[in-house]
Amino acid sequence: MAAKTTLLQGTLDLLILKALIASELHGLGVSRRVHQITNGTFDVRPGSLFPALHRLEEAGWLTSSWGPSETNRRAKYYRLTKAGRKQLADETTQWNRIALAIAQALKA
Amino acid sequence: MPVISRLAALLKYLRHRGQAERDLEDEIRGTFERLVAEKVQAGLTSDEARRIAAIELGGVEQVKEQVRYAKTGALVDSVFQDLRYAGRSLRKNPGYAAVAILTLALAIGANTAMFIVVNAVILRPLPYRSPEQLVMVWTGMPGQTVPGRSAFGTVEEWRRRSKTFADIAVLDPISVTLTDNEGAERIGVARISPNFLPLIGAQPVRGRSFSNREAEERRRLILISDRFWQTRLGGSDDAIGTSIELDGLPSEIIGILPANFDLPGLNADVWEPSTMFPDWEARRGLRGPGSWFVFGRLRPTVTVDQAQTEMDAIARALDEELPASERNLGVTVIPLSVYVVGPRSRLALWMLTGAVLSVLLIAAANIASLTLARSAGRTREMAVRAALGAASGRIVRQLLAESVTLVAISGLVGTLLAAAGIRLIRAVGPLDLARLNEASLDLRVLAATVTVGLLIGILIGLAPASTVLRKNLFSGEESGRTVSGGLAIRRIRRALVVAQFALAIMLLAGAGLLVRSWLSIERVDPGFRPERILSMQLSTTAVEASAQRANFYDRVLEQIDSLPGVESAGLIGDLLISGGSEQVVTTEGGAGTTSQRLLLRRDEVSERLFATLGTPLLGGRFFSIEDGPDAPRVAIVNQTMARQVWPGSDPVGRRFKLGPTDSAPSWFTVVGVVGDMRRQGLDTEPVPQMFEPLAQNPSGLETLLVRTSSDEPSKMVTMIRTAVGRVDKRAPLYGVTTLKNRLSADLWQRRFQTSLLIGFAGVALLMAAIGLYGLIHYAVATRTKEIGIRMAVGAQAGDIFRMIVREALQLSATGLMLGLVGALLMGRAGSSFLFGVTAADPLTLTTVSLLLSAVALAAGYFPARRAMKVDPTVALRCE
Repeated sequence: MAAKTTLLQGTLDLLILKALIASELHGLGVSRRVHQITNGTFDVRPGSLFPALHRLEEAGWLTSSWGPSETNRRAKYYRLTKAGRKQLADETTQWNRIALAIAQALKA
Repeated sequence: MPVISRLAALLKYLRHRGQAERDLEDEIRGTFERLVAEKVQAGLTSDEARRIAAIELGGVEQVKEQVRYAKTGALVDSVFQDLRYAGRSLRKNPGYAAVAILTLALAIGANTAMFIVVNAVILRPLPYRSPEQLVMVWTGMPGQTVPGRSAFGTVEEWRRRSKTFADIAVLDPISVTLTDNEGAERIGVARISPNFLPLIGAQPVRGRSFSNREAEERRRLILISDRFWQTRLGGSDDAIGTSIELDGLPSEIIGILPANFDLPGLNADVWEPSTMFPDWEARRGLRGPGSWFVFGRLRPTVTVDQAQTEMDAIARALDEELPASERNLGVTVIPLSVYVVGPRSRLALWMLTGAVLSVLLIAAANIASLTLARSAGRTREMAVRAALGAASGRIVRQLLAESVTLVAISGLVGTLLAAAGIRLIRAVGPLDLARLNEASLDLRVLAATVTVGLLIGILIGLAPASTVLRKNLFSGEESGRTVSGGLAIRRIRRALVVAQFALAIMLLAGAGLLVRSWLSIERVDPGFRPERILSMQLSTTAVEASAQRANFYDRVLEQIDSLPGVESAGLIGDLLISGGSEQVVTTEGGAGTTSQRLLLRRDEVSERLFATLGTPLLGGRFFSIEDGPDAPRVAIVNQTMARQVWPGSDPVGRRFKLGPTDSAPSWFTVVGVVGDMRRQGLDTEPVPQMFEPLAQNPSGLETLLVRTSSDEPSKMVTMIRTAVGRVDKRAPLYGVTTLKNRLSADLWQRRFQTSLLIGFAGVALLMAAIGLYGLIHYAVATRTKEIGIRMAVGAQAGDIFRMIVREALQLSATGLMLGLVGALLMGRAGSSFLFGVTAADPLTLTTVSLLLSAVALAAGYFPARRAMKVDPTVALRCE
């Protein structure tokens, strides 16, 4: 199990948006994908993930639809909206800038 | 704006909660089930899978709760946080908070009290059926100040001929003597036509009303008021069917009227048929002016103007058919609501409302200004919060939370003040303002108060909030220079101060004019000497013959005159009156007789009445013992009557009669002329008055006036009562008070209004002063550097002082100009309240202008002194 690294809310949003860039996923799928793209560093608890998904949907960056799942019960699938893609691009640029600045500061 | 979309989403969520819950259940529990399925597929047992999945998920219900919280709970939480922060911020600045809450509470309280009164008196519809259809019909042309009552026959004609009226009813208020085990007393009675109650839309709550036939048969049946039933008959269930003795005859109670059923100013305990007049047969055929109040109900689609037009035509047609003495001078139709609360009272109320609203505006402006100054000092704090990630919407919300909290607290305190204020108004307010007793806190008032409060709160909070939003917060960290938020804010604050002064001047001018009116009225000579006179009502029991009544009065006066401490005593119908009635007066001239119509007041008086009152005799003589019942009819007239009826000549010795030349009444010979007595109030011109000797026309109800030699006339009351009792134990004697009290009661309304306006003006001036002081003080505090520079290049302390003071005076002078214009306009609108002064009275306007300038000077003086003391070296150094 990876060490517990705490995530700021902003970065969780960023990861979720990134996770959905390729395809639409349901909640569990998003959690798996985040685990995958961070190479196991981040394991998002459902208690944080689902509120974040609903929040991002309210903000207009995700949209959802119902579809079939592995079990009998229907599942809610999320995907990026156009605004969501733009938000992802903006936040990525922002993050890179901050990371660069901090890295430089720590190097000096 | 994200705030808006979040709110929209929140509302949508709340509306479709049921569906949202189902969705959430599906989503979360579905996730759990999928987890379990995966693990089972990986080889775990069902139970193991469920256990591990539960740990990984964290519990379905918990997750659902966290999602729900993200949607709504966070918002609520942050609002609470804002409120708590607002509370803390206010507590850290107790001075600001106290000033703000106090001023706002006073202003809101005053406004709420005003809403309550206006609501009760003007806005609420009258408590009758379809009150918009009810009108009153008066004789006399529209616009004539004293509306005249009509005679019965005329009303019947109107009723028969009119098509616009659904029905017309009449009412005549009189008083009779009620005799029971405890003695005799006068009570108010309303004599009404049988269709009166149905017309108004009222019914007895118990029993029934009398029918047309019963009225025709002149059966002694009465209805009693709820108050009468409760206080005199103890609210007993078998009151109906019992009899009470009125004017010596028994009357049977057949019905009880609802509680609070009454007409304003009426106070009738008993309601009986119009036919109860002893002289009914003669009275019913009379035409022309009379004593009946006429009420009409218009047909549903008829307007008052249409009714007026029709009545004009009917009145003209009638006039052509009738001889001169039976004519009415035109007809006026007035909506009942206008009669109940006349245009003058309405105007007064609306003007008071305007005054109170302006005080509220001044208060709000002050608080907004203070808040602006405060917010400027918090620019740094706002910048830091923004840097920490607060959305600008959140910051705005937090500022609004503060001002809304302020207003909420003030509103609460203010409403309590209003409730107390209403009690005060009802206790000492103008007694004749109709429906004031219905004034209470109700839903409409509460809604109005809350709305006003919210608007004020948003306005106050928005001012600093808007500056926060506009600035680029990241670069907003300029230390001293732009602290005041730049030119825009300063301009706003200066404009606010000017507006405050303008409003203050208007209120001050109004108050000053009212005070001068008041003083003018107090100086008016009433025409008699009211000091040390006791006044009381006296009547003879039952209907007795004139000789017996005259005898009774003689003996009463005799008894009283013999009391020690009594200088003299006299009797008159009523000293303080509300008007005269229209009469035809015929006089003998050189070429036969001439008749004219006159508004005339007629009274019978005892011999010594004028001596008791101290009315001056201008010609001829007073009445004497020779003017007895068998002697020729004589009269004394007042100066106004002498001037109107016998212009340019001496009326003493001349004859006149009331009625056309060949009518029944006998001729009077004028034996004396007395000075005018102002009996309708000190501010009303006296009407023509004529007086007859009591011996020649003793009526059943008199006012007894006793001039005592002591300065506390009330001490003599018991003695007088005993003296009257010696003559007739059962004679009712009531309404005992001093004449001075009666006179000052008349002036109540004026005194009340004047005091109110003085209060408002004082408060407005104080608040304007505070506003100016705050502005100048702040300006000095932030211009320390500039002042330092000026001093460094050679300005003297005196120059600095003058510079600051000049700024204060400039602002107040602008406000003064604007305010004077407003005061002139206001004075013209309210000129009916003024007495003895014009709206543009130079003395008043000059005085208040000087007062305002002095206050402005004082407000600027202290900051100016501070400015003078600035040490240039320190000022230049500090940054």
